[in-house]
Amino acid sequence: MVLSFFRKSPSGLEHAVSRAVGMLGDARHSFDLATLALLTETSASAVDADIRATDERMNRTEVELRSELVIHISVQGTMNIGSVLGLILLINRIERIGDQAKNVLDLAEEGAVLAGRPDSETLLTERAEISALFGEVAELMVEHDDARFAELTQHCEELQALHQTKINEYVHSMEPGRDVVPRAIYYRYLNRIVANLVGIARAAAEPLVLEPGESVVDLDE
Amino acid sequence: MTLSTLAGETGKNSMPTAVRAMLVGGLIYLFLVGVSSLEQGIKVMGQDTQEQLFSNVSNPIAGLCIGILGTVLVQSSSASTSVIVGLVAAGAIDIETAVPMIMGANIGTTVTNTLVSLGSARRSDEFRRAFATATVHDFFNVIAVAVLLPLELLTGVLSNAAGRLSELLVGSSGSEWKSPIKAWVKTPVGWIEDLESSLGLGGTALGVTMVLTGLVLIIVSLGLITKNMRLLIADRVERSMNSVLSKGSGSVAMLLGVVITMLVQSSSITTSILIPMSAAGVLAIRNAYPVTLGANVGTTITALLAALASSSPDALTVALVHTLFNVTAIVILYVPRFIRDVPIYCAEWLARIAAARPVWAVGYVMGAFIVLPLVVFAIAR
Repeated sequence: MVLSFFRKSPSGLEHAVSRAVGMLGDARHSFDLATLALLTETSASAVDADIRATDERMNRTEVELRSELVIHISVQGTMNIGSVLGLILLINRIERIGDQAKNVLDLAEEGAVLAGRPDSETLLTERAEISALFGEVAELMVEHDDARFAELTQHCEELQALHQTKINEYVHSMEPGRDVVPRAIYYRYLNRIVANLVGIARAAAEPLVLEPGESVVDLDE
Repeated sequence: MTLSTLAGETGKNSMPTAVRAMLVGGLIYLFLVGVSSLEQGIKVMGQDTQEQLFSNVSNPIAGLCIGILGTVLVQSSSASTSVIVGLVAAGAIDIETAVPMIMGANIGTTVTNTLVSLGSARRSDEFRRAFATATVHDFFNVIAVAVLLPLELLTGVLSNAAGRLSELLVGSSGSEWKSPIKAWVKTPVGWIEDLESSLGLGGTALGVTMVLTGLVLIIVSLGLITKNMRLLIADRVERSMNSVLSKGSGSVAMLLGVVITMLVQSSSITTSILIPMSAAGVLAIRNAYPVTLGANVGTTITALLAALASSSPDALTVALVHTLFNVTAIVILYVPRFIRDVPIYCAEWLARIAAARPVWAVGYVMGAFIVLPLVVFAIAR
């Protein structure tokens, strides 16, 4: 272990960014499994253990990353304080996505059935679209690209507007509650997940630029 | 500036690594020139002036206090122990006088991380953790001196062991050995002497200016060595700290403390980076403690280096006493499990008091590192 001092390997922040990308991969895994349980015939109990284990791993990584960032500041000084704050914001958001994936799983476990319905195909397409967003955000974390970031932001804004429209429709719908309530709740979770994804991309691009009313400590509404 | 570009630039700086490494090499040379200039300046002063200057420190308790005060003043035990080695090399003080001063320097150096911990005084829990981690170093070093100084005064165990080791390495006390480093620094020291003589200085005045030049060179070069080495190895230190915290043992943490301190030539740097980690709750006092002890040993490399710039075996003996003192302290106060936690309990007790009333922390720093040594020195000299 002392000999590792003399070996060459990635510097502190590079390592932290790479671990944060891994954490985002875990969040995507949880999202994919939870939505699979809600939108298909897959049993919620079959994915429950995997999602909970992934969530525990993400929480552990979050604590370790925070510790690494404290060490980074202690050793390197405040030279990279902007990036460190950005990373704290970013890992907090990823951890929130993990929680929101668990909320989707809870919805499935509470008996919400969205599989085999007329809108199932649309729901699955939207799920795939959001799952792909995780990959795009991970790529932007590793290598920033202004054009791709702008494209992603616009895409996410469109998705969020669509989700809000759907939520409004379900809230005012005359359809039975067992059909519309789970959908309204599900779209609310999707809306937050997309907001967190665009937040992660933004934190990676502009570590110290927060949205109006947003702070490093309290991220969600 | 994005996260990805900043992450890529971590620890990078404007100067290429190879150039910075060469700069550090040059600074080490300058440091050795400083030690040699100090030694030469004291020799030029003459026997009478030396006796007048150093007669006050012949009492070991007075010497201990001078070691504490001198180190607190320059905020570097590396600088103060190098000066002590230079004084011994010049024959201004003997080994018996130098040993308590070296032990005092060991206590004095602990003030830096204690001062760093005061930065979190407004946040009670953070401060309690930070102050405990800082003062565990103080307590360990004070207990080590309380045990080893009387033992040394009664038996001369450390100086005898160091003397034998020194004899094996370079020859017996009182003789001169041909240090290659002394030969390398002889020319610039000659230039300093010639330059100051050409200003019309001679005798004691020339000696004093050479000593002052030496002191400035030692302090400035050590400061710059520390700064540059920190930039050179910051990424490695960070990585190693992460490894030690995740799966390290006490001995690994101690070795890490030795390695980091030897490279940055400053125990204060090593112990001070632990403080924010402790304050944040990332590093427990039990994990920081062995790193601190490693720093105690690592910092002795500077005095050893300084001893190489002289041709006196006694200078090397004093530098070796510094190393032996810190190693022995670890063997008797850290290795036995029943006594290992005593400094931790003391530090946690003091930290609880300080966290409740931060003014006590300031009082402790002022009292333990300035007022008490001054008073004791005034009485003991």
